[in-house]
Amino acid sequence: MSARPVPPVPAETGAVAGVVPVRQAIRAPARRSADRSGAPGMDDVLRQDDYGRVLLGSLMRAQLGATVSVLGPAILLLALYPLLAVLIPGLARAQLAGIPVTLLVLGGGIYPPLVGLGFWYVRRAERVERRFGELLDDR
Amino acid sequence: MSSWTIADMAAPLSVGAVVLVTVATAFIGMRGMRIARTPADFMVAARQVPPLLNASAISGEYLSAASFLGIAGLAMLEGLGALWYAVGYAAGYLVLLATVAAPLRRFGAYTIPDFAEGRLASPRLRRWATVMVLVICGFYLIPQFNGAGITLQATLGGPYWVGVVVLGVVVTTGIASGGMKGITVVQAFLYWVKLTAIAVPAIVLVMVVTHPPLASVELPAPTTFAHATLVRFPDATRIDVTRAVTVTASGTVDGRRTRGVLVLHRGGHTVGAGASLRFPAGSPAPGVSAATGVGGSWSSPLLHLDGFPGHRLAATYGVLLATVLGAVGLPHILVRFYTNRDGQAARRTTAIVLLLVSTFYLFPAVFAVLGRMEAPSLYLTGQTDSVVLALPRIMVAGLGGELLAALVAAGAFAAFLSTSSGLLIAMAGALSHDIMGRGVRAFQGSALLFGALVTTAGLLVESVPINILVGWAFAVAASSFCPLLLLGIWWPRLTRVGAMWGLALGGGASSLAVVASLAGFGARGWPALLLGEPAIWTVPVAFAAMVVGSLVTPEEVPANLTDLLVTLHLPEHLRRGGRDGGDRIIHRRGPDDREEQLRPAGAPRAGKRPERGTCSGAPELTGTQKEGSR
Repeated sequence: MSARPVPPVPAETGAVAGVVPVRQAIRAPARRSADRSGAPGMDDVLRQDDYGRVLLGSLMRAQLGATVSVLGPAILLLALYPLLAVLIPGLARAQLAGIPVTLLVLGGGIYPPLVGLGFWYVRRAERVERRFGELLDDR
Repeated sequence: MSSWTIADMAAPLSVGAVVLVTVATAFIGMRGMRIARTPADFMVAARQVPPLLNASAISGEYLSAASFLGIAGLAMLEGLGALWYAVGYAAGYLVLLATVAAPLRRFGAYTIPDFAEGRLASPRLRRWATVMVLVICGFYLIPQFNGAGITLQATLGGPYWVGVVVLGVVVTTGIASGGMKGITVVQAFLYWVKLTAIAVPAIVLVMVVTHPPLASVELPAPTTFAHATLVRFPDATRIDVTRAVTVTASGTVDGRRTRGVLVLHRGGHTVGAGASLRFPAGSPAPGVSAATGVGGSWSSPLLHLDGFPGHRLAATYGVLLATVLGAVGLPHILVRFYTNRDGQAARRTTAIVLLLVSTFYLFPAVFAVLGRMEAPSLYLTGQTDSVVLALPRIMVAGLGGELLAALVAAGAFAAFLSTSSGLLIAMAGALSHDIMGRGVRAFQGSALLFGALVTTAGLLVESVPINILVGWAFAVAASSFCPLLLLGIWWPRLTRVGAMWGLALGGGASSLAVVASLAGFGARGWPALLLGEPAIWTVPVAFAAMVVGSLVTPEEVPANLTDLLVTLHLPEHLRRGGRDGGDRIIHRRGPDDREEQLRPAGAPRAGKRPERGTCSGAPELTGTQKEGSR
C-alpha cells in the first residue's frame, strides 16, 4: 500500500449545510484525508444536478476505458491460441527445446502477461481516480 | 475395485499430515476468535485486513479440489487442452479486477443477494438470487466430496464412499456446531499449505525425471504394477504390451471371448468393452495407445471432445467463457471483498489474488505431464484424478516418496476443507436467512440438510472427473451472477425485471444443461457441446434476457439511480467525510437487523452462540449477512 497523493482540499471546506447523510451502517474512523471530513464530498456534487451527472458519466467512461484496455488484450491472448491450433494443425506437435509448445504456453507462459495486465490495470484505474479528483478540485 | 492403489503401502505419514492440517486449522481459527470483541473493534478490523492477507484468504478459499487434483487429472486423461480450465480460473480474476472488485466494495454489499436487492430495490429479486446461490454452491460442493473420496481411497485404501462420508460428516458437524468457521487467517494459511503441497513435490519430481529429459513426453516410459492389479476396461481399448505377460482375463481380448489365464505377447492388443485383465505384480503396465484418444493429440491445445475440430474449438471457448466469467460470480468468494478497506484496496487485493492463483496453476501441468510419462497405469484403473496423490510414491521410493505423498495429501485435504466449508456456510446461511426463518436453529438445520444432500450427490458422481463438475458450477455462475454484477455495475438501465429474466433464463438453462449432462444425455456431437459446455450459449442468453427485460421496463429503473451509481463508482476519498468505504448493509427489515449484523462472534446473543462467522483479525460478519461469512 504505497501512499496515494492526497488531492488538495477544495476551498469550500466547511460548507456542509443541506447535505443529506448517505445511507451507511457504520464506518471505521477515517484514517487518511482526515482533514477532509466535514467537507462536502464529490458524492454530493455528483448527485446535485445535470452537471454532476455529466461528471459521473465521464468518471464511469474513464473507468470503462481502463477496463477495456486491459480486457481487450486479455481476450486476444486467450482466444487466439486455440484458434491458431485449429488453423495450424501442426501446432499440437510443435516442440521447443523438446517441450511441447502447448505445455509452455498453457502450463506457464500465459500467466505472466495476465498478471502483468492485472497490475497494470490497478495503476491505470488509480490514475483515473486521481485525475478525476484533480479535475474536481480544479473546477 | 481398483486393486492397484498405492494404498497397499501403509500411509501413516499421510494420515498424520491430514490430521495436522485439520488441527492447525482449528487452532488458528480459535486463536483468531479472541482478537475482536466489540462491534467497534470488529468494524475497524474489517478495514485492516491488508491486501496480501486478504488475497491469500481469497486464494485459499478459491483453490478447491478441482485445482489441486482435478486439473492435473483431467489434463493427464484428456490432454493439455484441459489446462484451459486453469487458465480460465486464473484469468477470471483479471475480469473480476477490471469490472467488479472496486465498485462492489464501494457499494458495500456483503453478498450477491444484498447487491441485487440494494441495486435494484427488489426483495423478490433477492430471493431469486438466493436460490441461485444454493444452485451454484451445490454444484460446486459435489466435486469437493468427490475429491475427498478419491483422496482417502488413494491414501488409505478402501472404497470411494468412505472419503465422501468422512468429509461430509467432518464439514457438516463442524459448521453446524459452530466450529470450522473458515475465518480469514485460516483461509490464508490454507492457501500457503496448498501452494507448498503442490509446488515442492512438483519441483522434486521434475528433478527426479531430469533423466530422461522431457523430450520423452510423447512416449510414455513403461512402469510396472507394484501389485497384482485388476484393470477394467469400460470402453474398447488398444493396449501396447512392452514385454510378454501372463494375465487373468475376463471378457473379449483380441476379438476372442476369454476367461482365465492368457498370455499377452509383446505388441498391440485390443481389449473389448467391459473386459478386465489381472496383471501380476512386477509386470510392466501396458501403454494405452491412440485408439483411446490419449495418443499424439494429447498435446493439442484444444479440449478433448468427440466430433469435428470446430466442436473442439467451440468447447474450448465454452470452457474459457464458463471459467473466466464464472469466477466473477462465485457467491462464497465475493463476500471476501467486503473485508477490503476500500475500493482501491479491493483492486490491489484482486491483483494479488491473480498472482497467487497463477503461481499455483504452474504446478498441476507438471503432474499431468509426469503422470502421463510415469504412471500410465492410472489410465487403466480410471484413477487419473488421483495422479497428484499417487505420483510421488510411484516415482520416489522409500521415505522420500512417503514424505512427498504426505505433503500432497495434506494439501488436498486443505483444499476440500477450505472450499467445502466456505460453500456449505454460504448455502446454509443463504437458506436460513432468506428462505427459512433466521436463527441458529435454522442455520444448523440448513447445514445438516445440505451436508446430507451433497454427500449423497457426491456418492453418485464417482466416475465424473472433478474438474468437469466444477466447470459446470462455473458455467451456472457465469450465466447468472456474472451478468447481474456486470450489468448492475456498468449499465444504468438495468431493472429488477431484466435481472430476474436473466437469472431465470441463464441460470435455469445452464442448470438444466448440467443436470442433463449428469443424467447422461449428450454423449457426442452437438448435444455434447451444448449440454456439456452450456456457457457457450447460456451466457449470451443471460445477458440478452437482462438487457431486453430491462429495456421493456424502463419505469422500473430505481428512482435513486444516481445515488447508486455514485456509491458504486466514486472513490471513497472523494466522498464527504473522507476516505472510508461505505457499508451498504441492506437494511430493510427493522432495527434488529443492524444490531445483529454488527455483533462479532465473540459477543453471543441471549446466551446463544452466534450463528456463524467469527471475527479474527479479519472482519467476519455474523447474523443477517450470512451468506458465506467465514
